[in-house]
Amino acid sequence: MRLTLSLLLTSLALPGWASEGTRVQVTGEIIDTWCYYSGVMGGPDAVVGSAHHTCALWCSAGGIPVGLLAEDGTVYMVLKIAQDDASASGDTQLSLAAHTVTADGMLYERDGQNYIVVNEVVSDADIENRTHEDYGTIPSFSFPEPK
Amino acid sequence: MWRALLLSLFAGSAVQAEAPLPFDLGGPYELTDQHGQTRTQADPGGNAQLLFFGYANCLNICSAALPLMAQVVDALADEGIEITPVMITVAPDQDRVETMGAPLAEIHPDFIGLTGDEEALSTAYKAFSVEVTPLFQDPEYGWIYAHGSFIHLLDSDGEMLTLLPPILDTERTVEIVRGYVVPQS
Repeated sequence: MRLTLSLLLTSLALPGWASEGTRVQVTGEIIDTWCYYSGVMGGPDAVVGSAHHTCALWCSAGGIPVGLLAEDGTVYMVLKIAQDDASASGDTQLSLAAHTVTADGMLYERDGQNYIVVNEVVSDADIENRTHEDYGTIPSFSFPEPK
Repeated sequence: MWRALLLSLFAGSAVQAEAPLPFDLGGPYELTDQHGQTRTQADPGGNAQLLFFGYANCLNICSAALPLMAQVVDALADEGIEITPVMITVAPDQDRVETMGAPLAEIHPDFIGLTGDEEALSTAYKAFSVEVTPLFQDPEYGWIYAHGSFIHLLDSDGEMLTLLPPILDTERTVEIVRGYVVPQS
């Protein structure tokens, strides 16, 4: 995992920022957007939190953009977490998987999607959403069987 | 760029609450397709383009994004909107002119695969702010790469119109593209 953590890259390294956008502060969970939207691994309550943490790491490492699921149910597509430079921001995305955070950043609404450029993670409460107590590990195969 | 901005301003009702992209993506590139032909950011057929950076045998995000692009192309073709799906390789050691055509054709017959030398590919990556990092070597499939994962909607000249998250379903993605591209008469 350390290798993966160290080698992950950002989905986008954004070179220049326009002045438009709305400053927001959002509290929510860093989620795996593929499993959340597709439903392939289960319902939305099962593919968040501790139950889905390992899969979220795999998906993020595989290139799935992370999202920020706000307390009101809004999903923000995370374009960048800015305290890291581009080559290291993958580490941030992975280390925050399934964590509940408060993010301060700029919101861009486009095509009905909410995009957020996170300027600062104001607080990180670690994994608060203990979904494994209800669901176990989702999916069960996210821990590879040793050969 | 102005054309892209005007298109976004006057696009159909599918485009909601437009904010400009918070970055400037896109630019010229010159690569080689699976037929050995030179291709730039402009579509020779005058079609809008869905552009993704990936590799033909990628089992990760590409296995979601490339089929999504194919489904969007087919859905819009039924409405008279011709879109060309394009993939620029992030794994030129694996996606060569002679090898990348077949796997892409399995996804969609119109798929264009592009590769090139290091400098030419680097120009394209830089234009779209895509970074490529090797993760590990799979004994069966070769190197596995992490890479940018958003789909880019370009007009026929190669100007960036908007970003498409690869995790949306076909219907929603079609709805977004339809807001930027009008049917050919």
